Amino acid sequence: MSETRRFLVALAGTEDPALAELVARAVGAGGVAIPGADGVASPGGAAAIPSTPAVELTLLHVEESGPRELAAYQPAVRRGPWPLPKRAELEHRLADADDEGAAAILAIWHERFEAALPGAQIEHLVACGLPEREIVAAAARLDPVALILSPRPRTGPTEPGPRSVGHVARFVLDHSPVPVLLIRRG
Amino acid sequence: MLTPTAPLAVAIFLATVALVIAKPWRLTEAIAALLGAGAMVVAGLVSPGAAASDVYGHWNVLLFFLGLTGAAAVAERSGLFDALAGTSAKLSAGSPRRLLVAVVVAGAIVAALLSNDAAALVLTPVVYVLVARFGLSPLPYVLACTFVADAASIALPVSNPVNVIVTDRLGVSAASLVPVLLSAAVASVVALLGCLFVIYRRQLPARAPVVPRSNSWASWTAVPRRLLVAFGVSIVAFAVASAADLPLGPTMAAVWLLLLGAEWTSSHFGRPLEGVGWSLLVFVASMSVLVDGLSSAGITAWLAQQILGQVRDSPAAVMVVTAFASAVGANLVNNLPAAFVFADAVHGAGLSAASAHAAAVGTIIGADLGPNLTPVGSVATLLWFVLLRQRGLEVSTWSYIRIGLIVTPVTILAALGVALLIGVPR
Repeated sequence: MSETRRFLVALAGTEDPALAELVARAVGAGGVAIPGADGVASPGGAAAIPSTPAVELTLLHVEESGPRELAAYQPAVRRGPWPLPKRAELEHRLADADDEGAAAILAIWHERFEAALPGAQIEHLVACGLPEREIVAAAARLDPVALILSPRPRTGPTEPGPRSVGHVARFVLDHSPVPVLLIRRG
Repeated sequence: MLTPTAPLAVAIFLATVALVIAKPWRLTEAIAALLGAGAMVVAGLVSPGAAASDVYGHWNVLLFFLGLTGAAAVAERSGLFDALAGTSAKLSAGSPRRLLVAVVVAGAIVAALLSNDAAALVLTPVVYVLVARFGLSPLPYVLACTFVADAASIALPVSNPVNVIVTDRLGVSAASLVPVLLSAAVASVVALLGCLFVIYRRQLPARAPVVPRSNSWASWTAVPRRLLVAFGVSIVAFAVASAADLPLGPTMAAVWLLLLGAEWTSSHFGRPLEGVGWSLLVFVASMSVLVDGLSSAGITAWLAQQILGQVRDSPAAVMVVTAFASAVGANLVNNLPAAFVFADAVHGAGLSAASAHAAAVGTIIGADLGPNLTPVGSVATLLWFVLLRQRGLEVSTWSYIRIGLIVTPVTILAALGVALLIGVPR
């Protein structure tokens, strides 16, 4: 049996360049136990998967809508009767810059994942909004085998309790409709 | 003494401020203020002749704003801001922390020389584009632009419309304020940087995800050389004029004409009047009439008595009290109206020269830094969130508000501390 397994990789706040390697180890041959596409957990991990299945990765980048709104709207309100740049023009400029940044980030990660997972099919997805909500929404829409999340490393020893991950990862862990694979180096 | 017409004057003033902030029926700030000024005249609180002399009495301020908005427009057209941002990007060498410092320093320079509003309006989108190209989250940088525009705008008597209004009304020598204000500005900018680093210590990664090629940034060679020279000459001319205590309005207008001339001869010429803040002029002129209405009704004198009554003979106390009172006022009715009211109140209070000087510094610090309490101005912030909800956009309210709640008191205290140390005779 060799069917394509789709994983959604949320890149919000992800910094660790070794993520691609870690993901490759987790989802490739000899990987960890991940519930199969049929919804049945495979306790034996890779042993339960007879052949190396094709992997499809969707790399998700979320452009935050908040700062863009702030940058485009703040002048008009706060700066009173100053001659103002045209709002539509301004929003267009900011959106273009966001798209350029998104494309650059996705290109970098694309290369890393291609090197770590040769043969994997890699797709890009760009969303705009609150990162935590967009990640959950994309997971619901794509219905991947797992949602892969690599939250920003926190300085110092990991705090116990609800602050052990940031608010984006916390929201995703709580609300994801699909299994979440949280990858973080100690 | 409050006159029987005081409640009416206050009602007209507050209704006008509400219109200015809420801008219902696509009303602009200028039209709203003009309606308020008209109401003062129609209600008989200000005679038409007095209104005319109010406007004429602010010729220096009006001329200054004409020149300032014109000069800022020339600077924007020239590519100066893009070149400045490009230099910040290169200096950062891909380090988000260094980029934040560079953005704050660039914002401080623009705010000091071309006013807070020009810095925030023109620099914010430029910085946003730059940060997005680094693949970084723009939020810390956008807020840095917003906050530094105001934090650095106490630097010079010309860095904020509030400063011009206050120094003009109080008749305080602009040059005599510079040493105190400049030091206070450095303190508030450093305090702001400290706040941003503490707040965003986790969000700023060690390296930017993307480092664009350094030759992909806008460079200074794109700015016409003649304009660069003209900008330099303007700064020197302004320093000399301030030192000689020449009025700021004609100086600024002359600087604008010089820049237009340089733009003309470097064949970079667009439409010379584009970007001139006509609505700002209408707003300021209307505001002078509105405040005259409050003044005639005895309200500003009453306010001065309430605020300065106990402390009028101690310059240090005057500075502290005016700073906090004008910070509160700026958050209640926006900074320009608050500055007008406070300047008039202090002017009529008959303070000693030392106390008047301290009051000018205190009012400038409070009215310049106070509005930072929330990113888009206190009342306006609430409207902004309502508007966002209507547009179906979700933003995390608290992440914006908490920054200002931390930054504003810290920067005010830093500026005030330094101003008290060096600006109060003992």
